[in-house]
Amino acid sequence: MITFKLNGKTVQGEEGQFIIDVAEKNGVEIPTLCNHKALDPAGMCRICTVELFDGRRTRFVTACNYPIWEGMEVKTDTETVHEGRKIIVEMLLSRCPNVPVIQKMAKDYGIEKSRFKAEDDTCILCGLCVRVCERMGANAIMLTNRGLDLKVDTPFSINTDACIGCGACAFICPTGHITWDKIKENVTTQPGGFIPSEYDMGLKGRKPVYVPYAQAVPNTPAIDRDYCVHFKTGGCKICAEYCGVDAIDHAMEDEIVELNVGSIILTTGFEPFDPSKFDSYGYAKLPNVITSMEFERILSASGPTMGHLARMSDHKEPKKIAWFQCVGSRDLNRCDNSFCSSVCCMYAIKEAVIAKEHSKEPLDCAIFYMDMRTHGKEFERFYNKAQHDGVRFIRSRVHTVEPVPGSDDLSIRYVTEAGEAKTEIFDMIVLSIGLQSSKDNIALAAKLGLDLTAGNFCKTASSFEPVATSKEGIFVCGAFEGPKDIPQSVVESSAAASAAGELLSAARNTLTKKKEIVPEINVVNERPRIGVFVCNCGINIGGVVDVPAVRDYAASLPYVEFVADNMYSCSQDTQDAMTQIIKQKNLNRVVVAACTPKTHEPLFKETLINAGLNKYLFEMANIRNHDSWVHKNNPELATQKAKDLVRMAVAKVGLMQPLKEAELEVNQTALVIGGGISGMNAAKGIAKQGYKTHIIEKSGQLGGQALSIHHTARGENVQDELGRLVSEIEKNENIVVHLNATLQNVEGFVGNFKTTVSKNGGQDTIAHGIAVMATGASEFKPEEYQYGKDPRVITGLELDKKLIENDAALKKISTAVFIQCVGSREPSRPYCSRVCCTHSVLSALELKKKNPDMSVFILYRDMRTYGEREYLYKQAREAGVIFVRYDIENKPDVQIQKGKLLVNVIDHVLGRPMELETDLLVLASAVVPNKDETLAQFFKVPLNEDGFFVEKHAKLGPSEFATDGVFLCGLAHYPKPIDESVAQGRAAASRAITLLAQEKIHTSGEVAKIEPAVCSSCGVCVSICPYSAPSFIPKEARFFPGKAEVNPVLCKGCGLCVASCRSGAIHLMGFDNDQIFSQISVAMEAM
Amino acid sequence: MSEREPKILSFLCTWCSYGAADLAGVSRMEYPPNIRVIRIPCTGRMSPKFILAGLRQGADAVWVSG
Amino acid sequence: MKNLLEHTGIEPGRLHFSWISSAESTKFVDVVKKITEEVKALAETKKYVKTSTQG
Repeated sequence: MITFKLNGKTVQGEEGQFIIDVAEKNGVEIPTLCNHKALDPAGMCRICTVELFDGRRTRFVTACNYPIWEGMEVKTDTETVHEGRKIIVEMLLSRCPNVPVIQKMAKDYGIEKSRFKAEDDTCILCGLCVRVCERMGANAIMLTNRGLDLKVDTPFSINTDACIGCGACAFICPTGHITWDKIKENVTTQPGGFIPSEYDMGLKGRKPVYVPYAQAVPNTPAIDRDYCVHFKTGGCKICAEYCGVDAIDHAMEDEIVELNVGSIILTTGFEPFDPSKFDSYGYAKLPNVITSMEFERILSASGPTMGHLARMSDHKEPKKIAWFQCVGSRDLNRCDNSFCSSVCCMYAIKEAVIAKEHSKEPLDCAIFYMDMRTHGKEFERFYNKAQHDGVRFIRSRVHTVEPVPGSDDLSIRYVTEAGEAKTEIFDMIVLSIGLQSSKDNIALAAKLGLDLTAGNFCKTASSFEPVATSKEGIFVCGAFEGPKDIPQSVVESSAAASAAGELLSAARNTLTKKKEIVPEINVVNERPRIGVFVCNCGINIGGVVDVPAVRDYAASLPYVEFVADNMYSCSQDTQDAMTQIIKQKNLNRVVVAACTPKTHEPLFKETLINAGLNKYLFEMANIRNHDSWVHKNNPELATQKAKDLVRMAVAKVGLMQPLKEAELEVNQTALVIGGGISGMNAAKGIAKQGYKTHIIEKSGQLGGQALSIHHTARGENVQDELGRLVSEIEKNENIVVHLNATLQNVEGFVGNFKTTVSKNGGQDTIAHGIAVMATGASEFKPEEYQYGKDPRVITGLELDKKLIENDAALKKISTAVFIQCVGSREPSRPYCSRVCCTHSVLSALELKKKNPDMSVFILYRDMRTYGEREYLYKQAREAGVIFVRYDIENKPDVQIQKGKLLVNVIDHVLGRPMELETDLLVLASAVVPNKDETLAQFFKVPLNEDGFFVEKHAKLGPSEFATDGVFLCGLAHYPKPIDESVAQGRAAASRAITLLAQEKIHTSGEVAKIEPAVCSSCGVCVSICPYSAPSFIPKEARFFPGKAEVNPVLCKGCGLCVASCRSGAIHLMGFDNDQIFSQISVAMEAM
Repeated sequence: MSEREPKILSFLCTWCSYGAADLAGVSRMEYPPNIRVIRIPCTGRMSPKFILAGLRQGADAVWVSG
Repeated sequence: MKNLLEHTGIEPGRLHFSWISSAESTKFVDVVKKITEEVKALAETKKYVKTSTQG
């Protein structure tokens, strides 16, 4: 240790350190232009000159490369020092009058204009670039020539392949002299530079050491070998020097890990279609033609424009944006993807609506499409609203995009439905690119020996095994199975988990390790002994907040017995050390001042448990996310804020009490309501994993709607498959089927339901732990198109019945007409029934098969044969089925005249009325849910306006309810075909098993608790609680009859009842009044 | 301190605004260091008493965010 | 609540409500900035409520 004086203050430094290092550590700032921590100092710019008294005389030395020695006296702030610096700055300014850094320095020294002859250079010859280039191991540039001619250059001033184009010189150059363009022009012969960020679709660059995106898990940086200089030259390694915990090891190699598994699930997703090859859209050469994925990034707050709507070429805010649908989908001419990508219509509408919201000026959004396919739950409503809000929908396929000369605008030509050619100019064009299987997916399938579909998606075993591949034990879900949106992907992932779980249920819990339980110490009535641990989080906190000061401050707070600061509090060794300290110092409350409790509280709570403390005797102070990260330019106030936050946490933790978590036995029985395809699959999934399952079916037969369906989109015979499924259900020992049964009453909650069922005149009570709503839907009975007045007018399912019965009359028909959207997509029933387009196409093909000469017409509004169902649509057109589009304003008119069945429709190509005389009119009628409000009440689950159940989360929780222990599948959720119903049945089973497998569940300790003696029985809490947790104690109870009590199992700890209680009888454990008041009162103390 | 630095007592819902504040940190955004956050399980937990107590204890302002 | 505070003599600018989803970090920052500005503009001594209750 070397001790010396710095500006009169005694400071210490290590042998070999330079003045500038020690000064920085002591908060003394010495200006410099040529110094960088990663590189050896060179003393080139001389701005860091300081005054040195060596005991006899005063000298001037450069602080960056003058080593410290015992007893020296350094002054950095004297008049002579500043005079010297001023002259240096003035000379630099004469050399580089236009460099902002130097201009600023000059201004600080009060120099307006240099007295010396002005030159026009931007390089100050600091040599940083040369030194960094050497460090990079490239040695491509050097200071050449002598005296006045000295400059940075390559040997012989020619471009060299020694330069690897890493850009370190441009990065380090203090004046901006070195730029990427100059490197490319004068230095390197190699490519390099911009590394496109994968996450930002290449609209933004990233570094070779990077975290893929802010929310990445794990949130640890990775080094990209392809770009890291060290892997090219062996140089650099600066990151390893900077890393405070020695986490970087450049010698690490990829390793091959062998895993022994019982099942494989493929979730490898899709790749977005690359539209570069479509010359006519000019994606490759026109910067303002972008893909929808790129547009998503532009709309994102973390994207390249920070969510500001701007086009890429000139950052102008667009006023007109067009979307082109079906780019790389439904197209065999320009690419090989004849399938529909299923999601693009909806995302284009979403992007248009959000773009309108983001735009300050009114924004014109136009979507050019073929068929608008908004077949998802709530999607049609969104489409209607977008139309209402002024998004233009133009049914046309655009041919070409051309740049408007002299501007960055784009001119497009298209033909309207009426046949009129139009030209329109847009600021930006978004290509709604499709989803396709990547080469890697195809290679993976080949390696595993799996069959693919025509569109190169993973082929599933059948519509009744929608997640099984052609190989046993290997399952698939998500977009590798076929293009699909988030909810369907989530459904399939749960289904795949269930399918794999069935195979592996025998092995459950065989590889889990049992944790040792540390007995809990009783701390009630003890005086608080608080331990405060302040985390540096490397430099994340310590780099801004004065951590030692916060630590020392914490020691001064009441009841604090122990303080420490850690480099990384979350590391395993620190955790172990904390456990030891808690035990040694007898601490009974712990505060960790570190990051956010949302991610790290569970970890520290675990530490408390290991130390024998109740885990609720803990509080975190968020001095990283809420402090050091957001106030990095204000270290003083950030430190003050950190102290305040610690004080508040200490005040609160002192009042924390150990909390009990209610333990709850889970009844290992499931109840499935509805015996259709999805209900049976849910029951099968649960039963196959060894749990007793009851199926409640209100009719006298299992099968539901599937009983009246002829065949699936893949051509499987539904009745055969259904028969197999029913017999499988009937044979399964774990499944009890209750036919002709209805629910009379439901009591209880997750883990402990008691349901009364009445069947065949008798009553039965079933105790169960979970319930699955699979109540299904049925076909709407039409009220129009002469339905019910003529036997030739039938519904889609009625036609299936005839097909199942193999009705001979069908062969003799000469004309058949289908009308789509009967009862769907109408003001009274605004949703799309999803299944009818495919179903009618299938039936039409079936009729054509029976009699190829039959004339078959399908009158439709938008054909919604999504995904690979699109092939059927194409097949139908090839088979001669005639598709006629109609508008909702001009619905077909059906008349019976003199025994003739006549359908009048306006032909959309000719714009003229067309009369069809038909022998059969099939109405593709809506799917209507079996809306059961009593049932919804029984299980406290919500219904939407259309009568479908409302799931927990539209995207991420499609097969479960917000109410714990209740799950959802099938048509009761939304209309869907058989494969999707099966998948959701399995998904509901999978979600249910996560509960059933636990046997016991623990509730949170942070719940509301009512003091019955104070309760006035007013009932506000009972009525206000969104989770139905409070209830009245029965009148006949021995203690506190009529008072309210909270069921800790149902309570989510929101505190609504606490705030609403007029008697002050309710306490929210962990967030009680005294705890919050103590935080409030100390928050302002220091002022 | 040349300018007065007011203290704003903030009650943030753990699921919403508290998460937004965390994310602001992750994204390294900058904002004035004047807020002091109390995490509450839900804005439903808010009681007017907290607001009054905050002002009474000398907070320059109270901010409740769900 | 705001009305009530105003009634007791506290400026409405001293109480703010907002709704921010956990993904809206930008909005969070904007709101913090806005509120801080507004409160700074209010200036004023801040302890008068306390002194009045201490009596």
